[in-house]
Amino acid sequence: MGSQKRIAKELAELMESPPVGISVELADESNLYAWKVHLEGPENSPFAKGKFLIKLTLPTEYPFKPPTISFATKIYHPNVTNDDKGSMCLGMLRADEWKPSSRISAVLQFARQLLAEPMPDDAVEARIADTYKNNRSHYEEVARDWTRKYATE
Amino acid sequence: MNTLSTEEMERFQKLSNEFEPESQRKGPLVSAKQSTNAIAMEYAGADPAFVAKTNALAVTHPFCRTMKGDAVAFGYFESLFNLRDTLHARNELVRIKSMNTYLDQVGHQEHLYDIFVDATEQVFESLCDAIHTGIHDDSFLVELFRTEYNSNAIITHFRLLTSAWMKLNPHRYQAFLPLPLDQYCATRIETVKTEIDEVGLQALVDGVIEPSGISVEILYLDRSQGEAVTPHLLTPSRPTASTIRLLYRPGHYDLAYQAEPTVHMEPVVNYQYAMTSNYSPWDQGALSFDVNSSLMSIPNLMIDPSFGLGAAPMTPPPPSPYRVSPPQEVFQPPMHTPPPPIPVASPPPPPPRMSAPPPMSSLPTRSNDGPQIRLNPLVMKPNLSHSLPVTTPFKNSPYNQAHFQNQDFEPIHWEPHDRK
Repeated sequence: MGSQKRIAKELAELMESPPVGISVELADESNLYAWKVHLEGPENSPFAKGKFLIKLTLPTEYPFKPPTISFATKIYHPNVTNDDKGSMCLGMLRADEWKPSSRISAVLQFARQLLAEPMPDDAVEARIADTYKNNRSHYEEVARDWTRKYATE
Repeated sequence: MNTLSTEEMERFQKLSNEFEPESQRKGPLVSAKQSTNAIAMEYAGADPAFVAKTNALAVTHPFCRTMKGDAVAFGYFESLFNLRDTLHARNELVRIKSMNTYLDQVGHQEHLYDIFVDATEQVFESLCDAIHTGIHDDSFLVELFRTEYNSNAIITHFRLLTSAWMKLNPHRYQAFLPLPLDQYCATRIETVKTEIDEVGLQALVDGVIEPSGISVEILYLDRSQGEAVTPHLLTPSRPTASTIRLLYRPGHYDLAYQAEPTVHMEPVVNYQYAMTSNYSPWDQGALSFDVNSSLMSIPNLMIDPSFGLGAAPMTPPPPSPYRVSPPQEVFQPPMHTPPPPIPVASPPPPPPRMSAPPPMSSLPTRSNDGPQIRLNPLVMKPNLSHSLPVTTPFKNSPYNQAHFQNQDFEPIHWEPHDRK
């Protein structure tokens, strides 16, 4: 009821005026709770020109519990698990920090911003975080390489 | 007991912070009203301070509810239901909805918060329906709050209002916060599961609950000295039709109920004085004094909280030599804005909202069939020219400034234990 009403409104808003580099659609027209998000890699990052597919899943308790985000496109990034899940769990996406007044739009903008500015201290991939901190040029090289390989048609 | 080292204190603090009462892990969001003896039993083997306090509590407050959800929001609606005044409840709905402007002012968008407001509105509707159809059983309210969605939505609504209120009145709260107010609101108030702390609770009461006329009191159940729980009133000391009593145990609030038979009590008088503009005509039968047009002509008389609600009513005035107005002609008290915000955390004296009584000339002009007010000879004395006419009922009011000129004058002392 209220949950669906809210999701429908947010979806309509995002489709009508999508933020820069982000477009959304339902994965399945009959299910409001699973979205497909197309994210363009930010210009000033090694992910530039890449197109990343993100699965956004909304819990039935939304907006009282946060959405979850996972990268369907493989990405070399300290805050995204380098496995078949590609999950990202940070800050506002954590249940105890989530605010019901937050918007999905803000979540997606946050995710895109994170591509430009990784948060190595909250990394889920310690090795990538290490490379990011100590060997930035190598990190950027691999990230660019993966973007070319996996994130361009 | 006071010789713990810093490390031990820190360890206990940590344990205390992590403590989750048994009731928090299982059971419904709102328990049934139950005997407070259950709490006394729970503490039977605990620290003697808890044993003494819980035993005393079971006598003074025989009933309680354990709450997993928000005790304040539930207590608020429960109070409104027990007051059984649909007009008051409807006015409250209007007031709560009007606070959407606060949400807009701090940058929330209506399409993101309207589902929370809808949930609150639905409770108001059910509540008014129940009162209207003469239902006294509050189980419909308990059921509403036991639904996860409703409970979350109403809590979120009240939390957003609290946060907006704090952001709009930062000077009242910032000094008490360990971090910048915006950050505090984002991490402590607007989140879903965070237990509210004292500053947040005070803000919730100041901004959302207090204008309803309902009072809020915390009963601290802790290891401090004393034989009974320590009460602390969060609303200004004032006559009140209903009080939400929050039983505080570390990190959590439950609800406690005094022995008084508040449940089926009909309001003695329309207690919405000085709240908003929406006055209903006075119901003669409900008043503890004669509806006498002379009394009704006195400006501000009806907003004197000591009047009409006082435990010891004044002797009724002698029969008026003039006609008694039929109810629909009764003087409508002037509109009053709510009192100015009162500084946090001090049980203040009644606000000085009466300090400038209107001049005599502002008395309403009445019909031509004779004077409607019989002036006391004292009225025209020059030394009283700044006060209102001293008439029998007004004489006893704490707002009567003539008291200050009495050499035996003594202000009323506020006594925390002396309220009921």
